[in-house]
Amino acid sequence: MEVSLFHAALQGLLNLMQLKVFLAMLVGVSIGTFTAVAPQGMGMPLVYAILLPVVIRWEPVTGIALLIGASSVSAICAAYLPVLFGIPGGAGSQATVLDGYPMGKRGEARRALGASFMAGGMGALIGTLTLAVAIPAAKPLIYLMGSPELFVVMLWGLSMVAVLAGRRPIKGLIAAAFGLLLATVGQQAQSGVMRFVFDQPYLLDGIPISIIALALFGIPSALDLALTKLGVEQQAAPLKGSLLDGIKDTVREWWLVVRCSFVGVWIGIVPGLGSQVVDWLAYGHAAQTCKGARETFGKGDVRGVIAPESANDAKDGGDLITTLLLGFPQGVVTALFIVALLAWGFVPGPEMVKKNADLIYSIIWIQGISGIIGTLVGFVLAKQLAKLAEVRYTFMVPIIFIFVLMGAFSANRDPVDLLVVVCFGILGYFMRRFGYPRPAMILGLVLGDLMEKYLYRSMASYGFSWLTRPAVIVLLILATVSFVLTLRGRLKEAR
Amino acid sequence: MEIRRPRFVAAVTLGFALILLGKAGYGQQPSPFYQGKTLTIIQGREPGGTGDMRVRAVLAFLKKYIPGQPNVVSEFMPGGGGRKATNHIFRGAKPDGLTLGNVGAGLVANAILGQTGVQYDLDKLTYLGSPNSASQYVFLSRREAGLGSLEKLRATPGVRIGAQTVGHDIYINGRLFAYLIGLKDPKFVTGYSGPEVDLALMRGELDARANIADTIVTRTPEWIEKGLIDFHAILEIPRGEKHPRFLQLPELESFAKSDNERKLLAMFRSFRLTGSPYILPPGTPKERVQILQEAIRKTFKDPEFRKEFKKLTGDDPTPLMPEAHEKAVRELPRDPEIVKFFKKIAGGDPLPPR
Repeated sequence: MEVSLFHAALQGLLNLMQLKVFLAMLVGVSIGTFTAVAPQGMGMPLVYAILLPVVIRWEPVTGIALLIGASSVSAICAAYLPVLFGIPGGAGSQATVLDGYPMGKRGEARRALGASFMAGGMGALIGTLTLAVAIPAAKPLIYLMGSPELFVVMLWGLSMVAVLAGRRPIKGLIAAAFGLLLATVGQQAQSGVMRFVFDQPYLLDGIPISIIALALFGIPSALDLALTKLGVEQQAAPLKGSLLDGIKDTVREWWLVVRCSFVGVWIGIVPGLGSQVVDWLAYGHAAQTCKGARETFGKGDVRGVIAPESANDAKDGGDLITTLLLGFPQGVVTALFIVALLAWGFVPGPEMVKKNADLIYSIIWIQGISGIIGTLVGFVLAKQLAKLAEVRYTFMVPIIFIFVLMGAFSANRDPVDLLVVVCFGILGYFMRRFGYPRPAMILGLVLGDLMEKYLYRSMASYGFSWLTRPAVIVLLILATVSFVLTLRGRLKEAR
Repeated sequence: MEIRRPRFVAAVTLGFALILLGKAGYGQQPSPFYQGKTLTIIQGREPGGTGDMRVRAVLAFLKKYIPGQPNVVSEFMPGGGGRKATNHIFRGAKPDGLTLGNVGAGLVANAILGQTGVQYDLDKLTYLGSPNSASQYVFLSRREAGLGSLEKLRATPGVRIGAQTVGHDIYINGRLFAYLIGLKDPKFVTGYSGPEVDLALMRGELDARANIADTIVTRTPEWIEKGLIDFHAILEIPRGEKHPRFLQLPELESFAKSDNERKLLAMFRSFRLTGSPYILPPGTPKERVQILQEAIRKTFKDPEFRKEFKKLTGDDPTPLMPEAHEKAVRELPRDPEIVKFFKKIAGGDPLPPR
């Protein structure tokens, strides 16, 4: 078995030893990098949808090199917007804004970007290695996590409000409750009941989280620059930190990278969790476990950048485990990847792992190599892009507004989104001014929908007996212990 | 060299005249309306799903078959299961033949059932056809649940049937199967994505589901090969459209006990038959409608389109031509009693007694 896997891995690598495959990978990496810095609407699903009709005419390995090359780096290079403009990146990179932007403002944009790319590269590598190792054995793990277990994990995630609220627990709770309330807008999936829809088609699917996050962080950043009349790097000289400092930080925090990468892989493996929670859960984990985080997180702690970025990039490896092993897509991008595989005549699932092991390993190699190239591209671009942080506010404020408005509009091409951005932008400004933590609101919004879904599914399938499932009991104990420890720390701090 | 001047001047004059006449278009057809223009298809969905792939399969062929070869581009307006995009096509889009919509089958069902957010009149839209209309749905249970026969299925109370959301196509299918087969107090568990339903089924969180026959054969062939699943019944759309893999299964209509139940099935079939319709805003000039209808007809008949469609979606196309599409919408059953009955089946409350 091991010998055949070794041969498959070797053959997988040999499949890539063609100029056209390498070129396709480079083109993919370029597209992925561009997508990462473009406004939110130009997401990977759209890129895949455009590329797919073209690549399915190519021979499989070349097509895979282009597709995986693009998707594997889009997460690595997603830190530009949060660090330089204070705008949340795409799903999976939103939490980076919490510490990345304060670092940028402190004159440490290069250090933040260096840490982000290094953490992303290391995360991608860990995700890829896990993918390579787990392909033969991940199936039981995927079946282990049912709706009851996922509900407890979400509950655990919500307890991180205590961390994200900082020194203002009551305001944190109010913000999280408001986020939970916003998550109820739209047609409830379980009953079909319309909640707070007011007969408006716009509200049928709820208010898009990406637009709320964009507005809550992006608009206040622009207003902040306009009011302080400075560039992002408010301490004009001397500039502190370099890309190398960020790299050193990440290497020094290798254990945090490993832990958060496994959080990312796990979220990638479990169907239904998706990109929206990965960065927040990793950030919350870091804020709970890192020494001195209570004082420094949210104020420009490099560990607050390392945690979400490593998790977000490792997630892609986890995504591919479920996609290739079971044929279950983990989102639109992997669903389209499956479409491409089917068009080439491969049916993802256990049979493909047996029959086309070399192709599976080609995918793994492409994922790993693209991750490395993407990281290097990130470093090269970072030097130039970091100069944006020094640009005068008269240029930066319009740029940020354009990015925010374009990001909001291009997602759905709905003018109402622009109105929503403005409203939530104003709300974000006042939340910041009066000390209501915006991350707590986003966490409530992100987890609210998932919690409701998993609780409903658990009750509908098992009644109250889901509470007696061994995995649920273990997770509940872990969540309670973690919550109590966090709370105790807060109380000590208050005394 | 001697040049005969009068002849030379005459030849040059004639040449210029011919060029000028050519430029002025004498003796030529006027250039086609779509030449140099851009045709925009507004999709009522997120990019990347099966619906998007169905549209992408059509794009190049539309360009090829519309005289003047316009640029054909696709835009997205997700929301409300296609309601937002259809409202826009109906009320906001300019009826100049340069904007058309493509939405899911919910276009028809939402309007007939009077769902929230419908701001369009089904009878005023223009229909251009659909690349997919025929389909089959299968009701299945996991073998470990021990529901191997219809008798066992009927005798077991509280069978857990999974689906995406209330009102989703797969949900309504599950409810129709449960109702007509006669399951005892079935539980409908929603809130999954399509693949998540499969996973929950294999994990034992659910007992049964409805799904599209082609999807089962293509995406989860090991279910059939390893005997992990029991298949119970099939719903053919249109009636008589068999699926080669499931010939042995009883058609759902054979379980119907009354005329109203048969009409209920007919209503569902007609909703599904409209597939992923291409629509135009009311008031689009007739000659442009005809150009687009003809282009769609030629596209659907093109063997290369069939190949492209199969590659991008995994399914064979089952086109509904423009005139058949118009007819299908005109003849939709709208009997208020059946609409009320359908709403009960499609809703979130327990199934009505039979």
